[in-house]
Amino acid sequence: MSGTKIAGDFLSLLAEQKLLSSDSAPAGGAPVQTQATTVFAFHFAEGVLMAGDRRATAGNVIVTDRVEKIIEVDSTSLLAIAGVPATAFEMARVLQTSFEYYRRSQLQPLSLPARVRALARLLRDNLSMTLQGIGVVVPLFAGVDHSVSPAQARIYFYDPLGAQFQAAGYAASGSGSGTIRSILSFQERHASPKPSEMDLRQAVRFALSLLITASEFDSATGGVNPDTETFATIKLLKVSGVETITDQQQKEFLHD
Amino acid sequence: MTEEPYRWLEAMANRREYVRDQLKGGSPVFAVSLPDGILLLGVGGGQSKVFELFDRHALAGLGHPADIEKVRQAAIDAAHLEAFTRAAEDVSLRRLISFGLSPQLKTQFDQIFSAPFLVELLLAELGAGPAQDSLFRLHFDGAFQVQAGGAVIAASQPEAESAGQSWLNEALRGKTSRPEVADVLLQGWWCQVQNKWLAESVPDQTQRQAGWREAVKGKTVEIGWLARQGLRPARYQAPTLSELGLA
Repeated sequence: MSGTKIAGDFLSLLAEQKLLSSDSAPAGGAPVQTQATTVFAFHFAEGVLMAGDRRATAGNVIVTDRVEKIIEVDSTSLLAIAGVPATAFEMARVLQTSFEYYRRSQLQPLSLPARVRALARLLRDNLSMTLQGIGVVVPLFAGVDHSVSPAQARIYFYDPLGAQFQAAGYAASGSGSGTIRSILSFQERHASPKPSEMDLRQAVRFALSLLITASEFDSATGGVNPDTETFATIKLLKVSGVETITDQQQKEFLHD
Repeated sequence: MTEEPYRWLEAMANRREYVRDQLKGGSPVFAVSLPDGILLLGVGGGQSKVFELFDRHALAGLGHPADIEKVRQAAIDAAHLEAFTRAAEDVSLRRLISFGLSPQLKTQFDQIFSAPFLVELLLAELGAGPAQDSLFRLHFDGAFQVQAGGAVIAASQPEAESAGQSWLNEALRGKTSRPEVADVLLQGWWCQVQNKWLAESVPDQTQRQAGWREAVKGKTVEIGWLARQGLRPARYQAPTLSELGLA
């Protein structure tokens, strides 16, 4: 019945059990990597909307149009992955287990700053792979800050080395992010309603439009096409928890 | 030399007596499998009797808080390591108890020069339906019993526990809603702490209900609920008496 080295820290427990994977340098001639693009998040009237297309590519090959890049880490956190899914999915799994482990073992949820840093720590631990151009992940993170009253959902974005930044209104990552950030910036400054003023229906329709537009300029972005049952992954982070906008709901919003 | 085995047996008997004596007066805990989930209940000082272990697993116990904490932490560690290295679906109480907690408790109890764990525990695993629910009764010496569904009580003394278990099985018959089941458990809890089982006659329902309402004043009724239906993997909730309409 031995305790962990750092109370409630799942990574310490993994290290103690010698279950942490090593990131030894790969041999030359690494295979073409699968890449996941494009993800974004913006504040809307009810919280944060986080969305992504479902395409994964490897070079000029489309690997799948069914990948889920928006991951519910727990009831108050969302993770959007852009980059190499092999690394990103493992990071998501570590975070999911770590946050729940901490909450259950310490009988209190992990604070938002600690959650944000936990992801930064994983990115830093992936540094050697990142520097070799293998396994690069540039995620987005959204979490509910309960230290303020009333509680608020916040958006963070990272650089590949693990630096974390809080986004004022929106953030985007992946190969289609340039297009999406441009539209979001335009909407924020010159159009109406601003993303932060949109209701749910407006926000979802806007998110789908962003992906459709990005897919016109970036072949790695899958876009949205109801005729082929190709939809986005859209999740909402509210103070009350996480909600998913299903394919059927997206179809209905598109046909409004 | 021929005396040695008898000394060991005597030492074990003394330890058993010591543990039972230390546990005397401990507040009993309950677990009941219902159509919509598993309800666990204890009365303590807040976050001291009923705990979430993993997505579909919970623990309730009585005894020394530090020992409950050690067992709880060991169970949480093992469950999360199992889920991380394999999958959440591979976390099972049968394996957790048979190969983890039970041997450790037995080893601790058998080592006569170290302090035994002062705990009596209940562990619950949510299944697809009530028939697949598993309720484990784990004792301080590592011995355990398992049953599929139904209701289980963990008390400090075997005789009182056995009497309480019989009453509980009868009193819960046909009851499926959380408020009425929680009410019956609290009646059972009051009878247990007041030693009413071993009296000539068990008080009637009105007395029992008035009894528990008076007795919980200044204490915390801890309720754990493992919900069978839910969108998220973690099914544990901690409803209050008010939320169940019993405050």
